[in-house]
Amino acid sequence: MRGFVFALLGGAFITLQGVANSRISQDIGTWQTATITQFAGFLTALIILMFAGNGNWQRLRKVNPLYLIGGTFGAIVVFGNVTAIHFIGVTLTVSAMLISQLGMTVMIDGNGWFGINKQKMKLPQVIGITMMIAGVIVLGL
Amino acid sequence: MVLGLICAIIAGTLVSLQNIFNSKVNEQAGSWMTTTLVLGLGSLASFILGLFFEGGQLFDLQQMKWWYWISGLLGIGVITGIVQGIRYLGPTFAISIVLTSQLGFAVLLDSLGWMGLEKVPFTLKQLFGVVLILGGVIVFKWSEGRKKEAIDLPARNEKKLEVS
Repeated sequence: MRGFVFALLGGAFITLQGVANSRISQDIGTWQTATITQFAGFLTALIILMFAGNGNWQRLRKVNPLYLIGGTFGAIVVFGNVTAIHFIGVTLTVSAMLISQLGMTVMIDGNGWFGINKQKMKLPQVIGITMMIAGVIVLGL
Repeated sequence: MVLGLICAIIAGTLVSLQNIFNSKVNEQAGSWMTTTLVLGLGSLASFILGLFFEGGQLFDLQQMKWWYWISGLLGIGVITGIVQGIRYLGPTFAISIVLTSQLGFAVLLDSLGWMGLEKVPFTLKQLFGVVLILGGVIVFKWSEGRKKEAIDLPARNEKKLEVS
């Protein structure tokens, strides 16, 4: 039950954040919104990290440098999310993001990119993504 | 409409890449260090892109209100929710709930027209679309969960590969 509530809140906050960012960007601009909101999150995470007391930055050296720059994508993610909400509303934005997310995952699995074990796309995955795309078309009609 | 969809698709694609990259960092550095790094770099990249596209206008923050800072804190809630959800329920079930909740709240906020959103009334059409998408998420995640259980053991011995 506790796990359910956590997961539910996690999903709700993702959507809320998109809507709040989209609202904020109307006042101060989209890049400003992306900079400020992520900076606020950065400061908070940094404080938690200090209190949690395991801030050993040396451990980052063991990570392939390519993976360390994943965070920079956040700029385009926030920009794309906010712009999409302006144009097509929250429901369609979230739906399209979910589909491209899962589609990309299938492609990465299928090709074994980034050291992931290569896995062929299975029938249930094809059915699942087809259903999702059909749903987005229904919403967009 | 098309422009909006393209933006959403690019964002979704990058989210899935980011999830993989972040989980690799997470393996070594733990979730709070990963979060700190990811949000710090995201903020920095936004700042640089903003300077590039808007120049000095980037610093024009007259309309700024104090609660705008809070939106960034929602990100902390997102990470806590997902990490704890996975801890209690395992990734397949937890992520299915996260995705469902994301879409459910999207429909709710659209139909309430909150925070300057254009109100989209909840109709049978919306219901049908959302049910189709959620059905798809469940079918997709359910098959993935079974696949993961089956390959979990051999996968652990796999060497980490460099990107080719």
